[in-house]
Amino acid sequence: MLYLRIIKEKIYTSLPIIFLYFFSFYHFQTPEVGKINIFAFNFQMILIYFYVLKFPENLGFGNIFLAGIINDAVIGITLGTTSLSYLTLSLFTTYIRNATLRSVMTAEWFTFVPALFFSNLVYLVIINNFSNVSFYYIELLQNTFFTFLFFPIFYYIFTQYQKLTSKD
Amino acid sequence: MSENRDDFIIAIRYALIKKGAKQTFSLFFLILLSILVISLDKFSLPFMSPLRASLNDFIYHVSVISSQPEKFGKFIILKTKKHYTIMDENKFLREEMEFLKKQKFNNAYLASENDILKNTLNLSDANTFEQDFSIFARVILDQKSPFLKSILINKGTKSGVTKGMSVFHKDYLTGTIVETNFLTSRVLLLTDLNSKLPVIIEGTDTNAILEGTGNKKNLRLSYLPENYKLEPDKIIFSSGKGGFFSQGIPIAKTYLDKNDEILIKLLGDPNQALIVNITNGAIKR
Repeated sequence: MLYLRIIKEKIYTSLPIIFLYFFSFYHFQTPEVGKINIFAFNFQMILIYFYVLKFPENLGFGNIFLAGIINDAVIGITLGTTSLSYLTLSLFTTYIRNATLRSVMTAEWFTFVPALFFSNLVYLVIINNFSNVSFYYIELLQNTFFTFLFFPIFYYIFTQYQKLTSKD
Repeated sequence: MSENRDDFIIAIRYALIKKGAKQTFSLFFLILLSILVISLDKFSLPFMSPLRASLNDFIYHVSVISSQPEKFGKFIILKTKKHYTIMDENKFLREEMEFLKKQKFNNAYLASENDILKNTLNLSDANTFEQDFSIFARVILDQKSPFLKSILINKGTKSGVTKGMSVFHKDYLTGTIVETNFLTSRVLLLTDLNSKLPVIIEGTDTNAILEGTGNKKNLRLSYLPENYKLEPDKIIFSSGKGGFFSQGIPIAKTYLDKNDEILIKLLGDPNQALIVNITNGAIKR
């Protein structure tokens, strides 16, 4: 029984990492509504921001780095680009975590904006200077906007999940 | 003021160097590692090519496995839809077959007449569609990212695929090979921003470059002559300039949209490609 409990706990705590890797390997395609793909958002960024901010012990920086490398290989851009972008997001998030005293969802939601900005800035700078690929600014902008917009939904889901697992 | 700056520097230093609970690596170390990886990949050192190819092969295959649940779901939906439409389609096809049977005799007569006329004018299309390499491949992943509109196929350098080869889907040009690994390759679709193809417009001797915009129903023609006006319902063929493709491959078509604007759409649908044909020329007819 003890073994089962340990395995169960391991699975619960590893689920964010499993999701991070899964969505790095698998890029889900969402239906478009008119010309705007409202469901196109960066799930990994929400996951990284939330867990580095609230439960850093559940998501290691090494895993974030590796997930970024996998993402680059799948998309076909210079290796290390997404890793650096995710790590910038983690750096910014760690800074926010150290600088804030009281956790409020709305405050964390709005600090997600500069975090996303710096992360995407690093992304664009590397793409512009270290590769020859052109990219779709509008799609990237949409993606970033909907990542920001969907944050509260995932904040709620992740918080409920963490509450559930801590009860167990 | 200086106290605030000191606090900020301390917080950043703390975030960079301090390893949190259960963290194996510090952020500083991983950021340096990322920069090193980017530099190694950018400057394409000799050992990076096989390393990247092996890494890509491994990651693509895991990626294919992870996309199976979605594929299965789509397969079920597709099968259900097909079930309801198959009867109508069958009826339509029977009627069409009858019609084509009648047309066949007419075509045979026209073809022989065409051959006779070509011989009389000393015209021959024997060298139009040259190819000495042709292989079929399965699409294992189609990636829609803000950076590349590309598909991954299950044939690589092991099967003789090289960069720059043409990829066809249902007789229509779909893209070109831009990355080859040992077991897999990446096809840059014609819809991608980075895709540029020398073309000629039907019924004219106007040359242009067909560029992708990310949308299969709105491609762009650049380097058109000044004051040139596109007409609807004109087929756009490859011109063969630059030696990448054979000439005369139908690629796209002009059409009038709802706002009476003349746009260009691809003849084939790269998003529907499951099996593609890779050649170093045009598709064999």
